[in-house]
Amino acid sequence: MTTDGLALATRGLVKRYGTRPALAGLDLSVPSGVVYGFLGPNGAGKTTTMRLLTGLIHPDAGSIEVLGRPFGRTDRHRLFEVGALIESPSFYPYLSGRENLRALAATGARVAATRIEELLELVGLRERAKDKVQTYSLGMKQRLGIAAALLSDPRLLLLDEPANGLDPAGIVAMRETLRHLASAGKTVFVSSHVLGEVQQLADVIGIIASGRLVREGPIEHLLEGEGEVRVRVPAHDLDAARAALAALVSDGDPAPSGADDGWLTVRIETNRAAEVNRALVQAGIYASGLEAGSDLESLFLELTRGDGSGGHEGTFFGVAGGSR
Amino acid sequence: MRIFVVTLRKLVRRPASFVTLGILIGLLALILIAVAATASQPDAGPGQRQGLLLVTFPGAYTVILSFILGLGGLFAVIYGAAVAGSEWSWGTLKSAVARGESRSRYQLASFAAIALMIGVGMVIAFGAGIAVAIVGANIAVVSTAGLSDSETLGTLPELLGRGWLAIVEEGALGFAIATLARSQLAGIGAGIAFFFGEQFASIFLPDVIKYLPFNAANAVVATPGEGGFSGGGGDGGAVIASLEPNEALLVVVAWLVGALIVSTLFTERAEISG
Repeated sequence: MTTDGLALATRGLVKRYGTRPALAGLDLSVPSGVVYGFLGPNGAGKTTTMRLLTGLIHPDAGSIEVLGRPFGRTDRHRLFEVGALIESPSFYPYLSGRENLRALAATGARVAATRIEELLELVGLRERAKDKVQTYSLGMKQRLGIAAALLSDPRLLLLDEPANGLDPAGIVAMRETLRHLASAGKTVFVSSHVLGEVQQLADVIGIIASGRLVREGPIEHLLEGEGEVRVRVPAHDLDAARAALAALVSDGDPAPSGADDGWLTVRIETNRAAEVNRALVQAGIYASGLEAGSDLESLFLELTRGDGSGGHEGTFFGVAGGSR
Repeated sequence: MRIFVVTLRKLVRRPASFVTLGILIGLLALILIAVAATASQPDAGPGQRQGLLLVTFPGAYTVILSFILGLGGLFAVIYGAAVAGSEWSWGTLKSAVARGESRSRYQLASFAAIALMIGVGMVIAFGAGIAVAIVGANIAVVSTAGLSDSETLGTLPELLGRGWLAIVEEGALGFAIATLARSQLAGIGAGIAFFFGEQFASIFLPDVIKYLPFNAANAVVATPGEGGFSGGGGDGGAVIASLEPNEALLVVVAWLVGALIVSTLFTERAEISG
């Protein structure tokens, strides 16, 4: 495979659990020095991919390249340049945060003596570093997990739901840290369900459904043509507004949809927001709110709708999804 | 070496290390004092008076070590299973493997640290047992002159070495079982079941039982043909023939190596999830 300039690449990656395919030929291309957002509904194969990339499990078919070199069963040394946080952070509950990092630092690549204190400072756990991990909150464990992933100053960072349990300030700090790492030439591969977070963080995204990659590329490029304009109108004007806006939508595009809290969504280019407003005014309807923008959520839902992996399938606990 | 040292530090900080040793010493003390107190009663029968052997030196040295190997064997199984199983249950093995650590090296270095902890624990328990036996001897008004019996003291290092190997083998079984179960609780449960299952197996497999791991471990320090005081885990020298100590030592080493090979191979090939 041609994987020049890629920090991570998979080709035809297949993994089955019994007869059930978790991955059905996954082709990922993660460029070096970017934040890559790895998206997919529940059961699409994200965690299986993460486990394969860290050698926890092995593929039934296909190949993996890590930092430009093949990664197979006997290539565990490749992981010396990789940091990972897979699923939930894993620690000895009876040891302190600092002792846990020391224990982990004894495995894999050698870690500089000062590195642990630097990382405790970076993730804001210096004050609590002496406390047992069993007394930590979920967010603190997550921060410690991120510190653990950064232990050997990796060139490639694999993070599974890194924002899990973090408070808003922690999420902002994490985002800044990851952006800083990418700007320093490191590659950050982030699996997440929080689409808004990925949209703010990632340079490149890959969307997986039913064990296959369904879309991959720079986020701006993928969101081109995914523009939409949302308008808020009084409830008694919704039908009239829908009819007025339908004329703006090209043939083949979906009609204005959704009425959550009086918001209507029109799938047109964002630079036509003024046209939307004018159409409403001409129909005698005055919008109390108007938003224009591209939306990763819309793209994600469109691409993964019908994914038979037990994911969202448009419903969540019986509540209709797919609209806002 | 890094993993060995770090695992040792982890085990020293681990509450299970102290709890296991504390319970073993507590039970040992309770039994020795109770037996001594009962045997020293004026109305004690011949059977009860036989209990004074537990606090009569130099024979008490072997009896205490046999007790540690018997009941301590069960604790070693539980301890080995707890340490190995928690690596899977807590996901810490996963973190090490994801950092590129060798699975085999991680397991073997971890077990080496467990073996050292078991050795230290055994020596502490043995020392505590001797101290309690002296107290028991005083309660029962039994002479402690045999404490300094040079011939017995000369054999103690070898006995302790053999005992350490035996108890490490039992720890290795717990380690292997929990590794196969990939769970702390399941490993401990299966280890206990295996320990008592072997005793029940004597009903069906009287000729084979002496080669099974716990019986072989007890025979390692037993006086040939006698068996040892097992504290409930061993043969007690009553029904089942024991192996000769040197033969038992070979069997113990075989079980130890086998358990480590099984643990290592399984970990090497396992798909790690959760």
